[in-house]
Amino acid sequence: MEILKGNGLAKAESYYEDYGGRARALKKEGKRSIGYISVIPLEIITAAGFIPVRIKGDPRKAVTKADSRMETLVCPFLRSAFDLTLEGRYDYLDGIAIPHTCDSVSRTYDVWKHNIPLPYYHFLNIPHLDDAPSMEFFIDILRTFVKSLEKYTGKEISKEDLTNAVEAYNANRRTMRTVYDLRKPDRPLISGVEMIKLLAAVRALPVDESTALAREVVEEVKARKMPAMPKPARVMIIGDQIDDTMLTEIIENTGAQVVMDDILVGSKLYYADMEATRDPIEGIAEYYLKKVSLPTFYRDKGGSYEENLEVRFGHLKRFISEFNVNAVILLVYKNCDPYGFEVPATMSYIESLGTPVFYVEDEYSSSSVGRLKTRIEAFLETLT
Amino acid sequence: MAEERKQRMTATAAAAKVPKMVRANFTANLKAKEEGRPVAFSFIVNCYDEILRAMDIVPAWAESYSGICAAKHDAARFLEKAESQNFSRSLCTYATCGLGFEAWRKELGGEMPPDAPWGGIARPDFILGTGQMLCDLRYKWPQAVQHYLQDVPAYIGGFYWPPYDENMDRKEVENYYLKYAVKELKGAIAFIEKQTQRKMDWAKLEELTDLVDRTWDMFIDAYELRKAVPTPMDTGDAMNTMVPLAFMLGTQEAYDFYKALYDELKEKNARKEGVVEDEKYRLLWGAGLPPWFALSDFQYFNSKGAVFPAERTYREAERIERLDLPKLSDPLERIALRWMRYWTNWYDAARRRKGSIPEVERLIEYIEDYKIDGVVFHKAFSCRTWHAGIMLQAQILKEVYREIPMLVLEGDIVDFSSYNEADTHLRIDAFIEVMENFKNRR
Repeated sequence: MEILKGNGLAKAESYYEDYGGRARALKKEGKRSIGYISVIPLEIITAAGFIPVRIKGDPRKAVTKADSRMETLVCPFLRSAFDLTLEGRYDYLDGIAIPHTCDSVSRTYDVWKHNIPLPYYHFLNIPHLDDAPSMEFFIDILRTFVKSLEKYTGKEISKEDLTNAVEAYNANRRTMRTVYDLRKPDRPLISGVEMIKLLAAVRALPVDESTALAREVVEEVKARKMPAMPKPARVMIIGDQIDDTMLTEIIENTGAQVVMDDILVGSKLYYADMEATRDPIEGIAEYYLKKVSLPTFYRDKGGSYEENLEVRFGHLKRFISEFNVNAVILLVYKNCDPYGFEVPATMSYIESLGTPVFYVEDEYSSSSVGRLKTRIEAFLETLT
Repeated sequence: MAEERKQRMTATAAAAKVPKMVRANFTANLKAKEEGRPVAFSFIVNCYDEILRAMDIVPAWAESYSGICAAKHDAARFLEKAESQNFSRSLCTYATCGLGFEAWRKELGGEMPPDAPWGGIARPDFILGTGQMLCDLRYKWPQAVQHYLQDVPAYIGGFYWPPYDENMDRKEVENYYLKYAVKELKGAIAFIEKQTQRKMDWAKLEELTDLVDRTWDMFIDAYELRKAVPTPMDTGDAMNTMVPLAFMLGTQEAYDFYKALYDELKEKNARKEGVVEDEKYRLLWGAGLPPWFALSDFQYFNSKGAVFPAERTYREAERIERLDLPKLSDPLERIALRWMRYWTNWYDAARRRKGSIPEVERLIEYIEDYKIDGVVFHKAFSCRTWHAGIMLQAQILKEVYREIPMLVLEGDIVDFSSYNEADTHLRIDAFIEVMENFKNRR
């Protein structure tokens, strides 16, 4: 599909609908891609000359092939992603890198490796802690990752390669934050559905193309003439692998609008920059261990319980204030221990800010849309 | 309070002693609390055994208490309490049972929930967890329980072992894994010293590290006697005899227990006394935590002439010599490397067999050493750690080794509602038929 320059939203939608299509096309031009699950240092994959492609699932498609190879007790997002990969949706990948984030991901590494043979696989033990020994350990883990890519490609990853990648991703983060700023006005300039499409789509693009697309979206949306309409109720969504418009459509069809998120394809990755350290690996380690806020980290600075809650959830307070959020929807997938075990703490923290929060467990499947819709609509009605 | 089920019969005198030992562990943490001695909420197989014992800290084992509630069919009310707090029923039920208990205790202003099994578990003075040894819950449970124990400090120590990669020698990266683990163990000691105002007795730590080495060896010596035909002890008993290894490691009592078990099994072997009179099928418990509320299923297997001479689950020890440990003077390095090599010592075998993985090499070794006819797995729906990847193990076992009858049972560790006895027994009956046909074919 030919999309004219300056039509960033249409392009984002096209990349969202044909997820990974750009990486597949680039393969014909000789560019190679590495798939990944969850969060992994993309700077290193990019510095090695690959396009990092986030392996996403598809909640609108029932899991079929995966059922005989991956236990149903693992996270439904992962099962869906594995199912699509088994079916060949990511057949352009040269390899897959999997981090130790949660047990669902780490304990199924061999399942991927055995059932989807690819020339390159790598597993990274990302610590759950951010103390000084964990930082040193993580730096060693990253150096091993660098070496494994060098061994695979037969090409050294230079300090300059890494520095350039760090700069490219910092530029990407800055640009994405300007997209987020478009959600701040009383009548947000970009809808939640448009935003999710952009956020999901860019995870399968080369970083510079992702940045360029975000810039196009900013220019296009800024020039929009918004019709006069009542101010919508402003909702923030919290969750892990929310990479489909389903939830946002349910919310926005009620007249409310998603104005902020704390999700893995969204703000979690964009609201801090990576420091340009003399040794780029150190800055990369620091960013992923200390600046990305995930429930797979145990962060305790030795203070009181309330102080530690601020360390864990303080960014939510900032988002609620900066984006003038009226209500929060916390969506956790079934079988997700890292998120599931912090539901009571997350809810009580948000409630302590005077913001209503609604928690719902879901299965990363369109089959639950009806149930989800009824419950979310009932919650949002209480706001009016 | 739920009705207590008839206790499972044991084949060994050693296993029969275990319930009293478990009860003594819980009495010990309640008594320590009464007397003002420090109690640590912690997890089994966590690298801290020698440290806790050397510093006279009384452990209150988190998963153990949930297992007891399950075995006594009295977990449902704690699971429901956790659910009312918005903990999903799909989460680890060891943890949700424990969290339900703590939420209830908080509601009661610190009093034990009514009729708590075995008098309850002591309110801890501090929490010791790990990331990643062994599962997500080792750091998520401490974090979640602090919601109800807000004044209780926690220390989470990092501990990993190198991942298996057929193209990489684990020893290439072992040094930095070891360095990290030792620093984190030092952090644990500093934390305990701060909480208790006690200093580590390093000479005692070293003595206990020696004792654990000897206990691991004695455990393996005893368990290897189960290779005999007929086998003198099966997995039904092993789900009891794991208690000293898991909960009492670093005590002389644990060592003495395995010495007594060794002596008992040796005598049974001399008398050719098996678990069942007519041993027809020898099974391996290939993976999975057991349904604590339905351990009598092992007797159902026994009633069909099937015995389990070996199990992967709770065999959390290895003969020290096999780990090829260098001579190290620092007890923390010894503790860390012993655990690390425990996990990685199967890697070399996996690298030698194309298409294999360490978990499968372990199964193959047990199948051969214990003359196994079939493999039984148990998938507990609420635990990702031990139960994700079971299908792969079964698949690879067939691909790289040979056809062997396999049964995958489904249920849970704590949640009784996941279990149907009649259905389970039907599946076991069908499996026995498969085994019989397979045996006749061979």
